[in-house]
Amino acid sequence: MSKGVLVFARNNSQVDYVKQAYFLAKRVEKYLKLPVSLVTDNLDYIKSNYKDYKKVFDKVITTEYTTAFTLKRYNDGSLSGKQLEFKNDTRPMAYELTPYDETLLLDSDIVIADTTFLECFNQQSDFLIYRSAYDLANFRDYSEFVHISDTSVPFYWATCVFFRKTPENKIFFDLIQHIKENWQHYNSVFQLNRTVYRNDHAFSIAIHIMNGRQEGSFAGKMPGKLFYTTDKDILCDVQGESFLFLVEKENHLGEYTPIRFKDNTVHVMNKFSLNRFIDKELAND
Amino acid sequence: MTKGVVMLAQNSEYNYVEQACLCAMSIVATNPAEKVSLITNDKVPAKYKKFFDQIINIPWTENKDSSDSKSSSERWKIYHATPYDETIVLDTDMLVLQDISAWWKFLENYDLYFVSNVLTYRGETVTSDYYRKAFTANNLPNLYIGFHYFKKGERAHEFYKWVELVVNNWELFYGQFVPEHYPKNCTMDVTSAIVAKILDCDKDITNPLVKYPTFTHMKPFIQNWEHPAESWQKRVGTYLTDDLTLTIGNNIQQGIFHYVEKDFASPKILDTYYKYLETANE
Repeated sequence: MSKGVLVFARNNSQVDYVKQAYFLAKRVEKYLKLPVSLVTDNLDYIKSNYKDYKKVFDKVITTEYTTAFTLKRYNDGSLSGKQLEFKNDTRPMAYELTPYDETLLLDSDIVIADTTFLECFNQQSDFLIYRSAYDLANFRDYSEFVHISDTSVPFYWATCVFFRKTPENKIFFDLIQHIKENWQHYNSVFQLNRTVYRNDHAFSIAIHIMNGRQEGSFAGKMPGKLFYTTDKDILCDVQGESFLFLVEKENHLGEYTPIRFKDNTVHVMNKFSLNRFIDKELAND
Repeated sequence: MTKGVVMLAQNSEYNYVEQACLCAMSIVATNPAEKVSLITNDKVPAKYKKFFDQIINIPWTENKDSSDSKSSSERWKIYHATPYDETIVLDTDMLVLQDISAWWKFLENYDLYFVSNVLTYRGETVTSDYYRKAFTANNLPNLYIGFHYFKKGERAHEFYKWVELVVNNWELFYGQFVPEHYPKNCTMDVTSAIVAKILDCDKDITNPLVKYPTFTHMKPFIQNWEHPAESWQKRVGTYLTDDLTLTIGNNIQQGIFHYVEKDFASPKILDTYYKYLETANE
C-alpha cells in the first residue's frame, strides 16, 4: 500500500500557496518521512522558482488553470486585511488525483511539528477528519465550528483529512463534487445562507449524508488534536518544534499576547505572516 | 406477562385523542406486534379505533372539566387502568419511529424506569436546563415522564400511591420540595421527581449512562441553537415521506420523537400515516 501526503496549492495575486506547500513538504520529510505530491495549476511557476522541486515533491500534478474563484477576506493580524480571490474548487478531486493508496490530505498552511499524523496509517477507519479544533487564543466565538450553521449539521475541518482508496470513499468524494456543482441548492437546503463555497462545509454536508443524515460512523477521528491560530494572529517565528505567535488580545483591538507553543502541529491561518516566515527560512537555506 | 404501550388523553382546547391516534399509528407502523391502549373519556374517531388494543375509560372521574393541568392530574390513574402487567407510558404528542422491542428487554430489569437523558433533533444529548430550572435549583432527579415504564407490583404501586398523594396536594409538596422556581401548575415531571426524592429511589428507576431508552425532545430552547424561536417549526423544516421517514432539518429521526407543538399533528401527517397503514394491510 503506497502512502503519501497530498497538498493543493493555487496561488492568487498576493498569496503564494506553492511556497507554503514547498515549506510543508520539507517539514513532512523531516517529521513524517512521507512522500508529498503537489496539485497545482501552474507548473511553470514552480519550475522557475523552486529549482529543487523534483527533490522536494514526489509528484507534481497539474490541473487546468481556471479563472474561477471566490472572494475571501485575508487578514494579517487584527488590524489589516485584504479581499482576495481564493481558488478552492479542486479539493473534491483529491480522490482522483492522489497517487497514493493511503493519502493524508493537508492544507498548505499546516506547519508540522510532530509525528502524530503517522498514526492515521495505523487506524482501521478508512476516512479520518477532525470534528473539533483548538484555537490558541481560547476566547473567540467558536459556534461556527460546531455546526455549519445554527440549525444545521455538525462541522468538520477539511484542513487535514486521511483517506484510503475504497469504493465508499470514492462515493464520498464524488458526493463532494456533486455538492460543489450544486452549491446553491445545498447552501439553501442545509440553511447555510452563505454564497461562498467552502470545503469545510461541503465535507461536513457530505459526511452527514454518508452517515444516512444522522449521527454515524463514516468519519473516524484524526489522531491528536488540531490546533490553530486565525488570520487575526501573527506567526513570528518557528524554531524546530517551537512556535512563537502574537495572538489577538480579547477586547483590545490591535494588541496581542505573545504565546510560545511547542511539539504540536499548528494550522496557521495568517497566510501573510506564514509566508514572511517562510521567506526568512528559505533565505537562510 | 402481558406487555403494552398506554397513553392517557383528555381533550381540552387541544385534541389529545387525535395525537394519541397518530402515536398509535406510528407504533403499529414500526412495531406491529405491540399492543397499544388508550385511556380516555373522549370519543375516539371510528377510523382510528382499530389501531388500539383497548380503549379504556379514565377511572374515578369526578370532574369532567378539562384543561392541561387536569389532564396531568389524572395520569396517576394509568397504573390502575392499564390492562398490562408491564406498561410503557407515552405522552400523546410522540411518534415511535423504530422497532423498540429491544427496549422491553432492557426494561425488564426494572420495576419502574424513567428516561433521564433526552436528545435534540440532531441526536445530541440535551444539557440545557432551560425548562428545568426547578429541577436544578431544588436538586430534583432529572426524570422525564414522557417515556416511562412500570411493572405491576409492590414497588410501582407504592410509587404511584405517592404520585396520587402529591398530585392531590401538589401546592403543599411543591412548597416543600420545589421552593425555588416554584411551578405554576402541577406537572407530572416535577411530581415524579418529588416522589423519587421522597422514596430515595432515583438510582433504581433511571440510568443516565445508557443511550436507550430515550426520546427526542423538541422544545425549542434546548436544541443547542444560538437563536431559538418560540416554535421549533419556524427554525427547521419537517419532511415526512410516504414510507414514514421523518426528517427534521436534514436529520432523519429515529427512536421516539416528542414533537411538543400541537399543530405538528396536522391532518396531512395523520393522513400520511393512515394511508401507509392502509396500503401495508392490502
